[in-house]
Amino acid sequence: MENNAFKDENQHHQTFEPFVCCVCLDLLYKPIVLSCGHISCFWCVHKSMNGVRESHCPICRHPYCHFPTICQKLHFLLLKMYPDAYKNREKQTLEEERNMGCFSPQFNVYTHGSHVSDHSGIMPNCTITNQVSNSSSIEPLECLEQTGSAIHKGDEDTTIYSEHTSNETPEVFGTTSDEGKKLFHNEHNQQQKILIEDVMCTFCKQLLFHPVVLNCGHVYCDTCIINLAEEMLKCPVCQSPHPSGSPKVCLVLDHFLEEQFPAEYAQRRDAIQQSNLKAKPETTSCSLHNGKGEKITNPRLEVHTGVGCDFCGVYPITGDRYNCLDCKEVIGFDLCGDCYKIRSKLPGRFNQQHTPEHQFQRVQYLHAVRSLLREQNSLENFLIIAQDTMMANEEDDQNDSEAGT
Amino acid sequence: MSGIARGRLTEERKSWRKNHPHGFVAKPETLPDGTVNLMVWHCTIPGKPGTDWEGGFFPLTLHFSEDYPSKPPKCKFPQGFFHPNVYPSGTVCLSILNEDSGWRPAITVKQILVGIQDLLDQPNPADPAQTEGYHLFIQDLAEYKRRVKQQAKQYPPLLL
Repeated sequence: MENNAFKDENQHHQTFEPFVCCVCLDLLYKPIVLSCGHISCFWCVHKSMNGVRESHCPICRHPYCHFPTICQKLHFLLLKMYPDAYKNREKQTLEEERNMGCFSPQFNVYTHGSHVSDHSGIMPNCTITNQVSNSSSIEPLECLEQTGSAIHKGDEDTTIYSEHTSNETPEVFGTTSDEGKKLFHNEHNQQQKILIEDVMCTFCKQLLFHPVVLNCGHVYCDTCIINLAEEMLKCPVCQSPHPSGSPKVCLVLDHFLEEQFPAEYAQRRDAIQQSNLKAKPETTSCSLHNGKGEKITNPRLEVHTGVGCDFCGVYPITGDRYNCLDCKEVIGFDLCGDCYKIRSKLPGRFNQQHTPEHQFQRVQYLHAVRSLLREQNSLENFLIIAQDTMMANEEDDQNDSEAGT
Repeated sequence: MSGIARGRLTEERKSWRKNHPHGFVAKPETLPDGTVNLMVWHCTIPGKPGTDWEGGFFPLTLHFSEDYPSKPPKCKFPQGFFHPNVYPSGTVCLSILNEDSGWRPAITVKQILVGIQDLLDQPNPADPAQTEGYHLFIQDLAEYKRRVKQQAKQYPPLLL
């Protein structure tokens, strides 16, 4: 199917710079920021990941092993800036997802409210239990991320199957907040004004300065994160570990902020320079050789080809793997050994309807391969299967290589 | 088929039409029945002015797979093309076209073609792909240059 089937000519003239995904060359949709600071779409990242070993950033080849969560701050920012184009992308993507039988995380009606509260309410020292109690009423998104509770179970079906089938309706992205209502009444084709509230650091409650995005998709100023850094970086909001060393500044977002809010940005810069002359954080974008990079997958461990952990995002899982017996989705629900031990209560990264009551079984390696082969027919569209050592073009070059050297 | 290859190639085509480097040609193959096959592109790379390659307009075919842009396209000159880093089959050997070393999905068709144009006059002797071109380049530069100029004459500008 053609990605562009739904695009109309008008859109061709609209430029989304700098928010073009370098993989599909279209407007970023459900953006994911890798630890090197580069942005790509949810599916573009997932499809370009290596199912057998570590993956590389599509832009700078920085190695990484964990599939990050969508950055919702960017998601809603883009929706606000390019409402029509963004909804078009949603329509396109949903169509493809239906064909694949596998969905990206859907943000339901409450999500937008949570987005708003994201930069007004949550204290950084908030614990998971706090989250649970908060989330039942106003922050179902955090709830989705943290507990996978009944709200999740109740809403998701409607989210995918009824709400999203009528994908023209604006409430797809939620209109419970004031912001949402404005969006609803807003004339199409008009960009909305981006407010500082849209691009605030959850930690310091100021305009983001040198923003970094953690593996969980939450955004902070890099100074806010660096001050907290201990052994393994953890997200102050959701407590998810950030396994990929210190995250690099997302330069696309940083330049955008500098352009949009020059005065506030300069103010932030001066304040930080004054207060923080000694502990100067790394502010460069990507370097290909980051000493603090992720540890490379241990080659001796069993590799569960094309299967990722739905909690920490490691992809592929190596060593122990636990598969949910009760999730019916084609992609299944899996946890790596470490995440199984801490008993993740998150729903899946592909919108699975997982709940904490579900039972797990440990997956033996051979079993994993077999079940992969069995599922391959339906999964082959988006799983990278373990053939990457023998590519067709190398065959040709091997024949050729006799002549060389 | 729900990979992003075709969507990306459509965007590549659009971006090429909007703007591309002078003298280069890149267009998807048209099948006998008139339909366009986005997965194969026929391109022309002009030899760089001021080099021995000047005056040649070298035909190059890009073969994209369904895994593009996760995997690089295969780039082929005509069989037997004279260049130290071109296999006898015509396949170009270049780091940015190697999935395991330099390829990044962010590399565009434009960058590939310009990269290959640069490679023409700046062969990489550390990574030879054919005997003839490599040996002449190493041992007999005068003869090498003669062969390059001769090859440039073999590929005159296309009459459009």
